[in-house]
Amino acid sequence: MSTAGMRRGGTTLTLLGLLGLIALYWMAFFWVPTEVNQGVVQRIFYIHVPAAWTSFLAIGFAALASGMYLWLRDERLDRAALCAVEGGLIFATLVLTTGPLWGKIAWGTYWTWEPRLTLTLLLWFIFIGYFMVRNATEDPEKGKRFAAVVAIVGAIDIPFIHLSVVWFRSLHPEPVVARPDGPTLPGDMLVTLLFGVLVFTVLFFGLFLFRYAVEGLRAEADLRARSAA
Amino acid sequence: MKKSMTYALALTVLTIAVMAAAAVAQESAGMPQAGRLAEQNLRPYWHVFAAYTLVILLIGGWAVSIARRLRAIEERLLD
Repeated sequence: MSTAGMRRGGTTLTLLGLLGLIALYWMAFFWVPTEVNQGVVQRIFYIHVPAAWTSFLAIGFAALASGMYLWLRDERLDRAALCAVEGGLIFATLVLTTGPLWGKIAWGTYWTWEPRLTLTLLLWFIFIGYFMVRNATEDPEKGKRFAAVVAIVGAIDIPFIHLSVVWFRSLHPEPVVARPDGPTLPGDMLVTLLFGVLVFTVLFFGLFLFRYAVEGLRAEADLRARSAA
Repeated sequence: MKKSMTYALALTVLTIAVMAAAAVAQESAGMPQAGRLAEQNLRPYWHVFAAYTLVILLIGGWAVSIARRLRAIEERLLD
């Protein structure tokens, strides 16, 4: 896809995502009923879980692109991984800020060192580590290879985050959708949650395409500068 | 005019008396006062609003940051 095509695709997806976000806010505040036990604070769930899903999607995508980059050494794959990790960092930050806001009301504390929270924080540090490792070497190619390994290690963290509430004694609620016996959420809550997941995914891919277009143009500018020198 | 002023004053005194009586009754019944009750009920709302605002700020911030970088690269390519 050309840079112009990516920008067009990015614009379309981002606009769709923003419209979806408005609809999601309306659904979360006015359509879905208030949960009986937790009250209004449970509404954070409709952004917290989609943000978590999107950060997992981002690191999974980055790991796939990184693995292929290590194999094929195609710069476009490295650029795709870089853009996905940047998005993943944004959504992981959302997870780590919206979760504690819910936790303060539900648990009485913003933070506790329980397995899922700790592993999610580890994922956030892996996102940060990706950029640090990438820029830490004098040889950019070496930095890209090291960063690719970090992205793959980050993806390995995802199943541990998901299963930590099953494997260990945990304060964090167990999964209510991705369960072997099917979702346990009431219909309207499930619809709002799945719509949130769709909206965050569309927003991620929309902004990812924009970000990828920037990296494509940067590579072109660097190439021109090198050939001019 | 003087009569209506008297009525307004009486109504104000009556309102204050009713509010004071309600506060004393709440206190003696062991219920939290109106202000404290409202604070307790509104607290989760602040957390919800803060969480939903963070989504707009972070995603919006990322979009603005990408747009600024895109403009800078385009200007660099034009030079």
